[in-house]
Amino acid sequence: MHMADALLAPAVAGVMYAASGVAAGHSVIKLKKDEDDKKLPVMAVTAALVFAGQMINFTIPGTGSSGHICGGMMLSALLGPQAGFLSMIVILLIQCLFFADGGLLALGANIWNMAFYGCFVGYYLIWRPIMRSKLFGEGAKGQRGRIILASILGCIITLQLGAFSVVLETTLSGITELPFGAFAALMLPIHLAIGLVEGIVTAVVLCFIYNARPDLIMDVDKSLIGSGKKSLKSVIAIVAVVALVIGGGLSLLASSNPDGLEWALFGNAEEGYAENMGLDEDDFGIASDAADKAESIQESTSFLPDYAFPDSDSPLGTTVSGIVGSAIVAGLAAVICLAGGFFRKKKA
Amino acid sequence: MNKLETALRDLSEMDRLNSIDSPVHRMSPLAKFLITIAYIAVTVSFDKYQLSNMLVMILYPAFMFSLSGIPVRTCFYKLRIVLPLVMAVGLFNPFLDRVPVMRIGSFVVTAGMISMVTLMLKGVFSLTASFLLVATTPMDCICAALRKLHVPSMLVTLLLLTYRYAGVLTEEASVMTDAYLLRAPGQKGVHISAWGSFLGQLLLRSMDRADDLYASMKLRGFSGEFAYAKDVKLSASDTVLMVLCIGAFILFRLVNIAGLLGSLFV
Amino acid sequence: MLEFRNVSFSYEKERPVISDLSFKIEEGETVGLIGANGAGKSTVMKLFLGLLMPDSGSILVDGKELTKEVLSDVRKALGFVLQDSDDQMFMPTVIDDMMFAPLNYGMSREEAEAKADEVLEKLGLTELKNRYNHRISGGEKRMAAIATILAMEPKVILMDEPTAALDPYNRRMVINTIKELPQTKVITSHDLDMIMDTCSRVILLSKGRVAADGPAEEILKDKDLLEANRMELPLRYYM
Repeated sequence: MHMADALLAPAVAGVMYAASGVAAGHSVIKLKKDEDDKKLPVMAVTAALVFAGQMINFTIPGTGSSGHICGGMMLSALLGPQAGFLSMIVILLIQCLFFADGGLLALGANIWNMAFYGCFVGYYLIWRPIMRSKLFGEGAKGQRGRIILASILGCIITLQLGAFSVVLETTLSGITELPFGAFAALMLPIHLAIGLVEGIVTAVVLCFIYNARPDLIMDVDKSLIGSGKKSLKSVIAIVAVVALVIGGGLSLLASSNPDGLEWALFGNAEEGYAENMGLDEDDFGIASDAADKAESIQESTSFLPDYAFPDSDSPLGTTVSGIVGSAIVAGLAAVICLAGGFFRKKKA
Repeated sequence: MNKLETALRDLSEMDRLNSIDSPVHRMSPLAKFLITIAYIAVTVSFDKYQLSNMLVMILYPAFMFSLSGIPVRTCFYKLRIVLPLVMAVGLFNPFLDRVPVMRIGSFVVTAGMISMVTLMLKGVFSLTASFLLVATTPMDCICAALRKLHVPSMLVTLLLLTYRYAGVLTEEASVMTDAYLLRAPGQKGVHISAWGSFLGQLLLRSMDRADDLYASMKLRGFSGEFAYAKDVKLSASDTVLMVLCIGAFILFRLVNIAGLLGSLFV
Repeated sequence: MLEFRNVSFSYEKERPVISDLSFKIEEGETVGLIGANGAGKSTVMKLFLGLLMPDSGSILVDGKELTKEVLSDVRKALGFVLQDSDDQMFMPTVIDDMMFAPLNYGMSREEAEAKADEVLEKLGLTELKNRYNHRISGGEKRMAAIATILAMEPKVILMDEPTAALDPYNRRMVINTIKELPQTKVITSHDLDMIMDTCSRVILLSKGRVAADGPAEEILKDKDLLEANRMELPLRYYM
């Protein structure tokens, strides 16, 4: 989900820098007020750990693909929203400088899309309310249930917000001709699947920490520390159940379609996702299975029924672009494969 | 070789590039930082059809590569990460924007193709510029520049510390991954039964490390503020160079240099 | 210089790590603190440094009782060399790290750098000055870590496993360096040969109590005593 410099207009990038800057300023002031000078080394080491942890492959059973941890939620669960946010900024900056993930100009947007939602929204609207609630009952068992629910829900929601922002920022920048609705319909389902997997990994890791060092996790009832330890196997079982409940039919869908982007693009109409795509064979001049499928969806297309493509009635334009289009479709297919892996692996 | 090891190699490759001595390496990090930001901002601000106008921006990276002795190859290796996303977005343009703008033989070039190429070049150019900055400026110098720009010292210190430990922990995680895979032949990653404990163990160990780190700071008089040996000074020549560079970028943006050059010959 | 008076400490109730521990270390002494894993060596170190506070009893450093109020004063006199140099060398370069403590204790930039130069010169490490901490070898890192502590001019130096994971050459270099330091030193280690080379006196800890305290040659030659406490004779006595 790291945006590149090229995808943003300077004005949009500037606005995002300003927004992230305000959040960062708030965080610095808040942490200075706390006067906890131990926080700094803990933040640095945790950030370095999440940086390294993002590169560990967690294989998803039953599919050939792998998941990764969700940096923002994990950091705010361990450090709190402000410290988590600053740590995430630093991770994104290192990724941008040394690994060409994102860009210097796009950093503000990337911080917003990945760190702000993950840390502030994820913490204040999801983590804390769930952790302080009485869901799943009292005791360590309930606590564990809440950690799992908050992690999975948090990762899914914050990733959706992030993906939606990517679409919004790119569209506002006037970079792509891809209409807003189609782009959103492309990005959101993929990130739903990614968020689910990342949520599960985050949940399992936090449960492990809860068993070993509950004091490291934010908002847990400290009086319960040390009671009712559970084996990790049963934790995983609980996580799986919660994940199923949250993801609903979606998790089944996602696991039968490991390549999220491909599925989102050419997925079957019965599931009701592809119809939002706004893909249209005639307008694209593509003849392919995928387009055939898309055509069957066309009737119910709601996003762009009246979208008039420039020059669409010029015969020359149609044939030539048909040829060029076919060539590019081949390239597109290759890129989609690459991009799918890219989205899966590179998300923070 | 696992992904973590690749990252470590990337990091040490940067260290190696940093240790080259060249006029670019000796430039003030603050000047380099500001020039880079200006370059990227100007580059991405070109209109999506201004392909020929934008091409002139290639002069800056070309100039910096030859001046610094940084191999172009290393930079293009990095492009593999950023290009797929830019391409995925840009590749829709030729389908959706099909106004013909010129014809080469029977091949019609459409506006969408132009905007796609422009977008990709923007991606390549801006990546190249930030690569040149990092390849010629060690992290502590970049941090010194950030401090000069009044980025809160807490954030800058956090950046330095995290950078310092990113290498240490990536190495630890890499060793753990190797140890795991050696006992789990045929697996591509960490199996679900070990998801929690794998990263969890690493996290617990890191917390002990954070304790030691804190002790080490505290025992040497740390009280919330860091003092650094490095300080950034902006010399007169750096300032002149910076003004010249940024001025040139703005000129490139406002005047169609390539068009002017072309009109001389056509 | 350093004194434990009837100190007890536990991390968890009912499981004392240190119980009623008393000993005294005089100025200029070099004392080896030995004992099996879990004997309480690290805890003793942390108590000296004020990183932990005793449950009962008192700790005296340089004649002052260690309390929260005098902590920063006391710490100025104490230098601690950590086992993992990576944890100690958190700044970007060696010189940054060496100037960290002097600057924190109010030295000017010039003074701090001069001090660092002097220490580097004395230890023969001048070429490390501007090197990056993440790019130097394990042996260099350990020497640099000692240098960062010396730059703060402590009266007492505490060392946790100073020769762990070093090759023979670097180990010897660290031993020779330790021998030349005039300060009061407390060294914990399982490397009893190194303790033999550097320390005049040894305190043997077992289950949080002093099992033996006396001249290094006496204790480190006592096969039965060492084996009773899960240790072995230094190699040189195996002849």
